Amino acid sequence: MFLAIRELLFAKTRYILIGLIMVLTASLIFIISGLAQGLSADNASSIQELQADLLILTKDAEGELTKSFIPMGEAQEIVDNQGDEHASTLAIRMMNATRNNSQQQLDIAMFATEPDSMLMPKITEGVSPTNQKQVVADTTLKQEGVKLGDKLTIGEASYTVSAFTSGQRYSHTPVVFIHNQGLDQVNAIAVQGDAHVEGSFDVMTKEDALQGIPSYSQEQASLNMMIIFLYVIAAFVLAVFFYVITLQKREQFGVLKALGANNSYLIQGLMGQVVLLAVVCIALGAAITVGIGALFPSDMPFHLELVTMLKPAIIMMIVSFIGALLSLYQVTRIDPIEAIEGAAA
Amino acid sequence: MTLILDHVTKTYTDGPNRFNALDEVSLEVKSGEFIAIVGPSGSGKSTMLSIAGALLSPTSGNVLLAGENITGLSSKEITKRRLEKIGFVFQAAHLVPYLKVKDQLNIIQVLAKKRVKHGSDLLTHFGLQHRLNNYPNELSGGQRQRVAIARALMNDPQIILADEPTASLDSKRGQDVVKLLAGEIKDRNKAGIMVTHDERVLSYADRIVTIRDGKIVKD
Ligand SMILES: Nc1ncnc2c1ncn2[C@@H]1O[C@H](COP(=O)(O)OP(=O)(O)OP(=O)(O)O)[C@@H](O)[C@H]1O
Ligand SMILES: [Mg+2]
Repeated sequence: MFLAIRELLFAKTRYILIGLIMVLTASLIFIISGLAQGLSADNASSIQELQADLLILTKDAEGELTKSFIPMGEAQEIVDNQGDEHASTLAIRMMNATRNNSQQQLDIAMFATEPDSMLMPKITEGVSPTNQKQVVADTTLKQEGVKLGDKLTIGEASYTVSAFTSGQRYSHTPVVFIHNQGLDQVNAIAVQGDAHVEGSFDVMTKEDALQGIPSYSQEQASLNMMIIFLYVIAAFVLAVFFYVITLQKREQFGVLKALGANNSYLIQGLMGQVVLLAVVCIALGAAITVGIGALFPSDMPFHLELVTMLKPAIIMMIVSFIGALLSLYQVTRIDPIEAIEGAAA
Repeated sequence: MTLILDHVTKTYTDGPNRFNALDEVSLEVKSGEFIAIVGPSGSGKSTMLSIAGALLSPTSGNVLLAGENITGLSSKEITKRRLEKIGFVFQAAHLVPYLKVKDQLNIIQVLAKKRVKHGSDLLTHFGLQHRLNNYPNELSGGQRQRVAIARALMNDPQIILADEPTASLDSKRGQDVVKLLAGEIKDRNKAGIMVTHDERVLSYADRIVTIRDGKIVKD
């Protein structure tokens, strides 16, 4: 590192410039990761957080929750078979609601289940429903002006909001948990532990069910595509940068080798520079992203936690190493004879 | 004998043509002896110096450095020999552009995994004590070549090899540099080989070896 550090300091400008590109790329990767995470939660947190391991759908629904229709009687039978401690019916309907007889239409996702179901979410405010006319709403409905005790008219029926819960969104709309009384069909049976069904039913994990949410996989795929491209760009930018720098330093490397520097010393120096550059740039990118994230409006679907930042950070480190490989190879190929004028091949 | 070239041949093949850049060259250099190698362009001077300096391996023949035959060693071992036993002074000084003068010497210690003990004595000896914290581009050509000579001495080598050390200097500075080099080789009892085109510096050498078409024609 004796050489590597001194070179970084001597050629500050060029390393600062490449660092800037790396910082911007890292920030972009973090921001898009945050958006992907945020949109994923906005689209499916209610399924991700569902207190169940597996979902039973009809076979012909082909994994799409909203295309699976199970008559209530049949669903009840399955629940009984599974043991109603560990199974609940789940009906999902995209609905319009109005608040306190106002004209304003609110988009909601109605999740109907048994009142004592394991699927009922944790309440963050208010009290659990005590009758069929009381519902639990996701806290994001507050942004539409809904308060505890408000009357919500959903379809023909009227309900009272008795409690709020958080982190329950489905298809970019807030979820309202409702009693399943009177429904004649449901979409799925949620099961904790093992599920055993046969015939016209399929068992799938929650993760598989996510893919069946309209637009979920398309959204995630396009964002992930961007992230992958950014990784590739980062790798290429670093590869080209270090390739050109190494070309420029060819003579120096030749001289150093003639003086007795072995490959492993020179490679350590180069890798040291790459690691230093990558760590500093990724850290700066992360800091910038956290700063920008704080400026986003609160209803923007943007989720970023330290844990979710770790994965892209590690991938960027790996990608940086890959970018440096070409230069490593170059360095090992330089012949010390190049230090002697006229004798080089 | 510090350095022995024993029937050294270097053959380059260019398609069907084979061509001896060095042809059965034998040479012995003692400690304290300073040899100048002269000859027309393309005669094989640099090739011979490169083989003596373990930068190039001969096609046939042996190279003995301080009694050890280095011809068959692995490239890792050969790099180590260069680090420990050989000092180079290159044509264009070839200092590392991003190292201050003192670090040009310290890097040798770092490579040898020795404690950095600051080559400042050596640099003072060469009249460079006021330039320790300058970069090579802030030095004159003569100063640069003096740093290069100090660097070549830093590892306390058995032999010092110089390929046209005066090529980038005017005649007065060139003579000063060769005088300095010859003096150090005498004082420190090293063996020295210098390739040169410059007739005026030959007087500092103990022996003058003339090479033509890869063969030693006059010693
Ligand atoms: N890698 C190589 N491949 C083929 N031929 C080479 C190679 N290196 C050197 N030669 C040839 O070997 C011969 C000797 O080259 P060398 O560099 O030793 O000459 P020199 O005496 O140092 O010349 P100059 O005074 O011009 O530096 C030349 O004819 C040169 O073309
Ligand atoms: Mg030459």
